[in-house]
Amino acid sequence: MSLELQLLLLVWGTLVGLDLVSVPQMMIARPVVAGPIAGAMLGDITTGLQLGVLFELFQYDVLPVGAARYPEYGPATVAAVAAAHAAPGTLGIGIGAVVGLMTALLGGSSMHLWRRLNARSVHAAEGELEAGDTRTLVRLHVLGIARDALRAAVVTAAGLALAQLARTFLAGQLTVRGVTLLGVAAVAAAIAAGTAGTLRVVGRGATLRWFAAGVMGGTMLAWLR
Amino acid sequence: MTPPARLARSARLPGRSLRRSLLRLFTVQGSWNYERMQGIGMGVAEEPLLRDLQATGNGAAYRAAVARGARFFNAHPYLCGLAVGAAARAEHEGATPEQVERLRTALCGPLGSLGDRLVWVGWLPFTSGLALIGVALGVGLGAVGGFLVVYNAGHVALRWWALRAGWAYGVRVAVALHEPLLRRASAWSGPAMALVVGAALPLVAEYFAGTLAGWARGVLVAATIAGFALLWWRRGKLTGLRFGLALLAVAALAGWVWR
Repeated sequence: MSLELQLLLLVWGTLVGLDLVSVPQMMIARPVVAGPIAGAMLGDITTGLQLGVLFELFQYDVLPVGAARYPEYGPATVAAVAAAHAAPGTLGIGIGAVVGLMTALLGGSSMHLWRRLNARSVHAAEGELEAGDTRTLVRLHVLGIARDALRAAVVTAAGLALAQLARTFLAGQLTVRGVTLLGVAAVAAAIAAGTAGTLRVVGRGATLRWFAAGVMGGTMLAWLR
Repeated sequence: MTPPARLARSARLPGRSLRRSLLRLFTVQGSWNYERMQGIGMGVAEEPLLRDLQATGNGAAYRAAVARGARFFNAHPYLCGLAVGAAARAEHEGATPEQVERLRTALCGPLGSLGDRLVWVGWLPFTSGLALIGVALGVGLGAVGGFLVVYNAGHVALRWWALRAGWAYGVRVAVALHEPLLRRASAWSGPAMALVVGAALPLVAEYFAGTLAGWARGVLVAATIAGFALLWWRRGKLTGLRFGLALLAVAALAGWVWR
């Protein structure tokens, strides 16, 4: 992959990471968006769509409320698509999932660090803030956004490096059967996580009946196709 | 005066300030931290609405209001505008500092739970579920573009309504939370999300399984059922991510042994 493409993916991953919490939360951070756009950059929309759907299912396991700690699947999907690009099909999904899940774990930890650094800055400026100093207020806010952009860039860069390593060392080591198993494991984990996450939110009331109706409708549609 | 009339009248008053505040609200979580949570972002978003206080020569009131606006706050980011508008209006109407503090504190819980119900477990999974169905049915990038447009139409409308309603109602902002449209949306968002995501799951499973050989489909079904059972049984302790990594490690090992 050329340096220009790597840089393009780095910029996209940074924007995606920034969108998750900071600016503007228009959901380009959702894997179903981040993946296909990364795929389009690489000229491989199919792989982008596949991994976007895969990580969107993992995303259903996450409820981003308050101070909750959760994995970051946006930049992870970008890295996953970069890893899978050279090895399309089932091989791509398996390797992409390995890279993506590890990057998501890193992204989640980095957000915790970002929040702590912001807290430290706010604590240090307590006096100015209580005096209603607008310049300090805006400075802290801009600093927080800049820190988040840097965080997202570092996470994406780490993910892209991991993708490079996976392409170089993992792809050649696997047999066809091993590759298929890896892809199957990725899809099974994603569907299981998506179903469990959705059912946790749905609960046991009337909404569960709507969910059951949806599953039946979707199954019939899949069978008819 | 009816709520829509109040909204229309109030929007004419500080139009430019409201727009500036709305733009800043898109960054409300940019300085999220464990100390004040969204407080700094809230203060930054409220500041344009408080400038009138400074213009009237009351610099001390302006600074005190800015300081109050930046204190601890935590709610759903899309509904923060309701608190920003209401607090700014209360400051203009000469509410005491204690009243403003109480207003902000009282809004955290309701705005958080309403936003979570309406957006995080309603509108967002509903529209993303539609995108998944679209991709599974072969719509491709069109499904992704449709998701972005439809989701953000609701997103931006909610942010704009929240800010205007907050400014229109001021300390009586709780009235805005009982608007019929909001209540209906809140009641229907859960079932609609459940129906769409429920339909998306088998279609997505078929989308992936379509490329697999017979034995691999069997493994997929067995691993999915076992994984779901494990995640359900260990909910709160085992996350989808950790389960995914563990299953991939098992698959890599199995693939290495079964050559």
